[in-house]
Parts: sequence; structure tokens; C-alpha cells
Amino acid sequence: MNFELNMSLSDLLLLLPEIVLTVWLCLVLIADFAFPRLPKEQLAYFSIAGLVATLGCLTWLDISNITGTLFANMYVLDRMALFFKMFIVGASILVILASIEYVQKFAFFRGEYYFLIVMSALGMMFMASANDLLSLFVTLEFSTFGFYVLVAYLRDDVASNEAGLKFFILGVFAAGLLAYGISLVYGETGKLVFSDMTSAQPTPGLIIGFLLIFAALGFKIGAVPFHSWIPDTYHGSPTPVTAFLSIAPKGAAFAILLRMFFVALASFKPMWVVLLAATSVLSMTYANIVAIAQKNIKRLLAYSGIAQIGNVLIGLAAGTKMSNDAILFYLLTYLFANIGAFAVIIAVSHAIGSEEIDDYSGLNRRSPFLAFSMLLFLLSLAGVPPLAGFIGKLYIFVAAIKEGLYTLITVGLINIVISMYYYLIVVKKMYIAEPNDPTPITISTPLKVVVYISLAGTLLIGIYPQPFIDWVVSATMMFSHIGAPASTMIPPASPFGG
Amino acid sequence: MLEELAASFPILSCLLFLPLVGAAVLWLVEDEDMVRTSALTISLVELALAIFVLIRFVPESAAMQFSEHASWIPGLGISYHLAVDGISVLFVGLTAFLTVLVVIYSWDTIRQQIKLYMMCVLALETTTMGVFVSLDLILFFVFWELMLIPSYFLIKLWGGGAERHYAALKYVLYTLLGSVFMLVGIALLNLNFHQWAVLHHTDQVYSFDLLDLLTVPIPLSQQILIFWLMFMGFAFKAPVFPFHTWLPDALLEGPIGMSVVLAGLKLGTFGFMRFSIPLLPDASKSQTVVAILMCLGIAAILYGAIMALIQPDFRRLLAFSSISHLGFIVIGLFALNYQGLQGSLLTMINLGFSTAGLFFIAGFLYSRQQTTHLSAFGGMAKQVPLLASYFLLIGLASIGLPGTNGFVGEFLILLGTFKANWVYGAFAVTGVVFGAAYFLWYYERAILGPLGKAVKSTMPDLQLREMIIAVSLSVMILWIGLYPSPFLRIMNGSIQALVDRLDHGTVASLTDSVQRQDH
Repeated sequence: MNFELNMSLSDLLLLLPEIVLTVWLCLVLIADFAFPRLPKEQLAYFSIAGLVATLGCLTWLDISNITGTLFANMYVLDRMALFFKMFIVGASILVILASIEYVQKFAFFRGEYYFLIVMSALGMMFMASANDLLSLFVTLEFSTFGFYVLVAYLRDDVASNEAGLKFFILGVFAAGLLAYGISLVYGETGKLVFSDMTSAQPTPGLIIGFLLIFAALGFKIGAVPFHSWIPDTYHGSPTPVTAFLSIAPKGAAFAILLRMFFVALASFKPMWVVLLAATSVLSMTYANIVAIAQKNIKRLLAYSGIAQIGNVLIGLAAGTKMSNDAILFYLLTYLFANIGAFAVIIAVSHAIGSEEIDDYSGLNRRSPFLAFSMLLFLLSLAGVPPLAGFIGKLYIFVAAIKEGLYTLITVGLINIVISMYYYLIVVKKMYIAEPNDPTPITISTPLKVVVYISLAGTLLIGIYPQPFIDWVVSATMMFSHIGAPASTMIPPASPFGG
Repeated sequence: MLEELAASFPILSCLLFLPLVGAAVLWLVEDEDMVRTSALTISLVELALAIFVLIRFVPESAAMQFSEHASWIPGLGISYHLAVDGISVLFVGLTAFLTVLVVIYSWDTIRQQIKLYMMCVLALETTTMGVFVSLDLILFFVFWELMLIPSYFLIKLWGGGAERHYAALKYVLYTLLGSVFMLVGIALLNLNFHQWAVLHHTDQVYSFDLLDLLTVPIPLSQQILIFWLMFMGFAFKAPVFPFHTWLPDALLEGPIGMSVVLAGLKLGTFGFMRFSIPLLPDASKSQTVVAILMCLGIAAILYGAIMALIQPDFRRLLAFSSISHLGFIVIGLFALNYQGLQGSLLTMINLGFSTAGLFFIAGFLYSRQQTTHLSAFGGMAKQVPLLASYFLLIGLASIGLPGTNGFVGEFLILLGTFKANWVYGAFAVTGVVFGAAYFLWYYERAILGPLGKAVKSTMPDLQLREMIIAVSLSVMILWIGLYPSPFLRIMNGSIQALVDRLDHGTVASLTDSVQRQDH
């Protein structure tokens, strides 16, 4: 295989958002070194400006419908990649906003913090475009490097160090699995690009190879049984990093999973449905049951996140165009609810210095706004109508029921009831229990902005989801041939009747 | 059933969202008395709107009236579709009526966080209204689930009992468990519609709209599966025996206002009548389903009545009597004939007055003796003659004495049941006897006889606000009891349509849909 690098200016256009962000990344680093007196807050806003510019580029590409592939199909820019890039950049903006107050706690390297966040975001943006096994490996590692450092950022804190070490060792292990899987798949097929593998035969080597790749990606999204790093890492990391870790890498990894399962492995569907269904059942059931016993709110959300991923995997198991839309939509609802919940946690732990659920007692008396926001975020995560999470779950279930995955749906629904129990524990503490210390909690403005944006997202997607559904439906148009009949195409918005 | 009369003015939307907007406005009000007055005003305006709807409602018609339609999530076939027919319109009035009474009752009995309480009551009103007026199944489900949130807080924050935390959680989780099954049933209905629509190349391939779903045939095996899934949702909420265990806890531990709404508005059995029976007529009349439902109904009647007989606490007694009454409603529904369905619907409305009324009475007793346990009462008639008289009147209505509303409904149910199968009827009649026994026995011990030891020597009789509640309930009870025809006329058309639907099953609906397209 010989690569020829002949790029035109129009090819560069496809890379425009990444180029903008790379340049900005360098500027952030230079600014941090060149102006040591510069308040780090300014640096945060500077990073956000870069991300907003990138978001602007992405929106422009999306609107003008510019798509294409680069580097001999290694890199693909389609509507789905654009969706995930916007998802990642949006999450990064919210996380940086939520970090501003928190970062003041760090003794050292406050400026580099923003650099690392943006760098991880850049890596994940590349992940969303990865279209072959090599770029899969490179981009996945690239995005993880930033996190290795970020997780252990509280270096005087034992828990943070432990989190960093666990994340690093298991991450490197997963990378090893990934590399091994890739080499097996390449050995069997002689192909690297996903779309070239469609005619491959299911030889044992190929199956093992893909299982290993799936394990590595399962590590990224935190599905049971690859979840063991999640609780400790979420617990020990600085909270904004936890928030980031709980959203963005999952989105990026799903971009790859979708491409891998829907393109490369489309012909093996009967085999992977079972695999995904099993992973989904395990993730939901295990995580929801363990979550009940949690005393720490970050651990609670860690397990709830594993369970949510189980729900998303229902959609992946259904394996149709519609379920693909549902996955994208679900991740969008999860983004707002989860970032919002973590923003509340950041605000509360800044004021009371604790992340124990018991210390959320009487939050309603201390800050009705925070308590009410948390209530809505948790209810959205639980899937209570008319919040975003409900529509997301409904979408996934409707897609799965069309494929006849009744067992999976039943397990999913029972899990909703279980999850309601532990979300209500937190609600009970916030609203019913008496506060230990009734002083009101004040919230910094950037954090307030994050909570407001998340609230708006959670409510808007729940009450008027149609534009978002249109968006995800158009984002996955390239999968419209999957799931057989043309009837699965969603009809254009038309008034009822007839 | 498929005919629609569009509203010139979106009055149902107003009905639906007025309490919610009112709750939001209450948030801004600081003064506690202002909170009470505003809540009362809002609920009275709501009642006026509901009465307007009832007056303008065309009786003897099966049409969906005051219909409003807007697409909400067209991608999934979910729409914002509201309408009332003879089945639901009376519940709209009942909900508005009971909310006014709850606000009046809570005026001085709720002492802490009155603002939040009134907000919850109004939010609860919106969600129950939503359940009654939604024709889109997802919209219905949204309100059905949303109801849990204000209910949870009402039981938990203002409940009187020590076990209220447990009761609130139990209520939420039980209902949620049932409704997730129902959601699968709803999704299957949608799927069935989808397959049919794809086969017939209609423009619209997804729909959750009741009226759309009614036009497609559903295979019997599928119907039975969906029936049981939906049954789980409705049976937990109703609650149908043996899914009732949350009810006594929630009614006993929650505040009176919450108990009134929970016991007064028969949401679960409404669900059977609105969705299960018309959507799944062949499953509803299949022998196994009828036999199981009838047996559950009779078991509920007898179990509830016998349990009520031995309860020393009045609220617990009422909880079990509710379960017993629900048994009557269920056998009336699954007699599947005109009288049975009509009697069930009327009984659901009647219980809104009588059971809710008895809960108010329980509240009056509670505010005098700080308990509803029998040991605190005895010979109360001498102390509080007015309270005792209204207690008797409402109680007799609940056991179905001729001249009260309870008689009309119960009589129709028994008539329908005997027509369907006399064996079931024979069992059901014994329930009437038990019903009279548990109420009269409790009444005798609490109100008549010598003065109880624990009874205070001076006890105020009914106060102004309590009088308003008692009198308005009594008026409704006697009105329906003596002159039920306006109420029956409202429901007749829809009941007849329901019976026709049962006779023809889903296949006949094919012709209906053709006619509908011709119009």
C-alpha cells in the first residue's frame, strides 16, 4: 500500500476546524508562558473563544454540507462526524466554564489545565473522523494522553493520584489490546479502512481481533465488564475533569463504534447483536444495583453513567438507521443532564467541601436553584417526562422494539425503576432532610451559565425535540440503507391526517 | 369515536395549563394569605372553565369534542392531541371540582410551606387533567408519569404519618414499575400501526394517536400481549387487587388533600376504558382475559370489604373500601355490555364525590382528635351533629343507598354483570352487603352510642369552610342520585360507540377508516 500525499486547498477545508483548534492550542500555551502574570481566568476565556470559533467552523461546514474523505480514506468528514465534533466541542466549552472556579484550587499548572482540556478535545475531534484502524489507534491514544494528566491533576490528593494511576495502567492495557486486535484484523483481511472490510469472512482470527477492539472501545465508554476503572477514576479526578470524562470520550468512542459496527461489520450483524445485548444487560443491571449503595455523589453518577451507556448499547444492538439516530439523540440528552449534574456538584463541593450524598441534606433550603436544577437533571437521567432523557429513552426503545429486542427492552425498563430509586435518594436528601448548616450557597457566574445552558438543553430537548431529531436523522443519512426496507426512513415533518 | 369536533378556541389547553401557570405565579407571591387566595382563585377559574366545557359538550354523541391538534415530534409520530368525549369529560369536571375543595380544605390545615403545597396541588391538577384530555398515547404517558412528582412531594413533605417516606417511595416505584410495562405496550401499538401503514403505503408511518391507532387492525395474539402490558400500568395505578399494596400506605401517610385526589380520581380504571378496551376489543372480550379480570374484580371486592371490616383506623378502612369499590368498577367494565360500562363510568365519577368526601370527613375528624383511630371516638353525634349527619349521608352514598348517587352506579354494574354471567353477579352482590356492614359498623362505634373516653368535652362542629365542602359534595351526591339523566346523557354516545367497537372488533374499523378518509 503506498500513500501519496497530494492535498489541495479544498481538502484542507475539511480539516479547517482541527487546524483552527490546533493553532489556538499553540496560542494558549504560548500565552500561558509568555504572559505569566496573565490571570488564568483570561486564559480560560481565551480557550473558550477558540472552541467557539471551532464550533463556528463546524456549523458552517454542516450548513454548507461540505463532506469528503482525506488521506486515502483514513479521515472522513461526514454529517455524523460533524455531529460528534460539535458534541465534543460543546461539551468542552461547558467543562471549561465549569472549571474556572475550580482551577483556583490547583497549586500549580493552572494554565496548562486549559491547554490539556483543549488538546483532549482536539484528539476526540479526530476520533470522530477516524475511518480506519490506524487512525482509530492514533486518535484514541492522542485523546487519552490529555486525560492521563488531567485525572491526576490534584497531585497532593491521594485519591487523585490513585485515579490517575488506575486510569493510566488500565488505559495502556486497553491500548495494548487495541493494537493486538488491529494487527489480527489486518492479518486476516489485509485491509485497514472500515469500508473495505465489508466482504470479510468471519474467521476466528478476525472475530478475536474485533472482540479485542471492542474491549478497548468498551473501556472508553465504560461498559461492563470493562468498567472497573470508572468509579475510582471518577471519584478521584478533579470534578470538572470527571464531567468531561463522563461525556466527551464516550461520544467520540461511539462515533467509532457506529462506524465499525455499521460499516465494517454490517454483514456480521446476527453475531454482534448478541454481544452488544449481553454487554448492555450487564451494564444496566450491574451498575444500577451497585449505584444504590453509593455514598459519594460522584461515584453514584459514575455508576449511573455506566447504566446510561447500557441504554445506548440497546440502540447499538438494534442496529438500524433509526436506532442510530436514537443513539445520537440519547447522547445529546445525556450531555446536558450529566454536565448539569456535575456543575451542581462542583458548585456544592466548592461551598461545603464535600461530595458525600449525606452532605446534600437540605440543599433546597440552602440554594433552591441548585436543588431544583439537580432535581431536573436527575429526573432527566432517570427518564421522567417531559424532560430530555425521556424522549431519548423512548426513541431508543421504539427503535429496539421494531427489531424485536423484547428481552433487552424489558431489562432496560426494569432498570429504569431501579435507577429511579437511587436518584430519589438524592432528591430526598436535597428536599426532605434538614441541612446541617443552613448558610446559603453562592454560585459563581460561569458555573451558573453552565447550569442555565444545561437546564435549557434538558427542557428544550424534552419539550420540543423535533429540531434535534431532524438534526440527528440527517446526521446519519449515510446509514439509511441499513436495516433493510426503505420504509425505515423517517418521513419529513408533515401534519397528521388522511 | 373517530369523529372529531374541533374547538374554535383552545379551551382544553387553557384547562390543562392554567393550574401550571397558576403554580408558577404562586411562586412569586410572598404573603401566605395571598397564596391561599390566589390558589383558590385559580382553582375556581379552572372549575368555571370545566363547567363551561360540560355545558357546551354535545350530549348523546360519540364524537371527540373540543379537539385540538398540533404536531409535536412528527419524526416519531407523537402529536399534541387533546379532546374530550363522553368518557373523559366528566372527569375533567370532577378534577376541577375536587381541586377547589382540596384548596379550601387545606386553607388552615396545612401549616408549613403552604406556598409549595399549593403549587404541588395545582401542578397535580395539571397532570391529572392531562391524563384525561390527552388522545396521544405518549402525551398521556407524559402526564401519567409527571403526576408522580407532585404526588411524591405531597406525600413526603406534608404527610402526617411516621411512615410517609416509605409510603411516598413505594407509591412512586410501584407506579413506575407498572408504567414501564405500559410504555412497551404503547410502543407495540405504534409498531403495529407502523407495519400496517407501510403495507398500505399511507403518508404517515408512525403514530401514537389514539384515533389513528383505532383505525388499524391488530392480530389477536398481539392484542393480548399489549393488553397485559397496558394492564400492568393501569392495574398498578388503579390499583387492582393484587397490585394494591401501596394504596393503604399512601392514603394513610399522605396529607388528606393527596388522599382525596388519589382515591377520588380513578385514573387506572379510566385508562382501561379510554385505551385498553377500545384499542384492544378482541383481547378484552377473549375468554381468558374476561375470566381473569372478573376473578380479580371479585377478589378485590371481597378482600377489600373484609379487610375494611376489621380496620380500626378510618383512613385505612377507606383505603380498603376503595379497593373494594375498584373491584366493582372492574367487573362492570369487563361485563363488556352497555349497562356494565355505563355503571362503571358512573361509579368512577360517584366515588370521586363519595370516597373523596369520606376522606374529607376523615380530615375533619383528624383535625378534631389528631387521629382517625376508632379509640379516639365514640358518641360524637352529640358533640358534632352536623358533622355526624354529613358523615352519614356521604357514607350511605358510598355504600349505594337508593336516592344517592352510589345506588345508580352500583345498580347498573350489577345489572350488567348479571346479564353477562350471573355467577359473577352473585359474588358481587355479597360485596354490597359487606360494604354496608363495614361502614355502618364503624359509624355506629364512632358516632353513635355513649360518649367515648377520649372525646374532648368541647368540640367545634363544622366550620364555614368545612360546611362549604360538605354541602357541595352532598348536593352533587343527591343530584346524581335523584336525577342522573344529564350525566348519563353525556356518557351515552361514547358508551354506545364503545359497545359497538367491542361487537365488531378491530377488523371492522377498516371500513371506518375508509369513511373517515371520504369525509
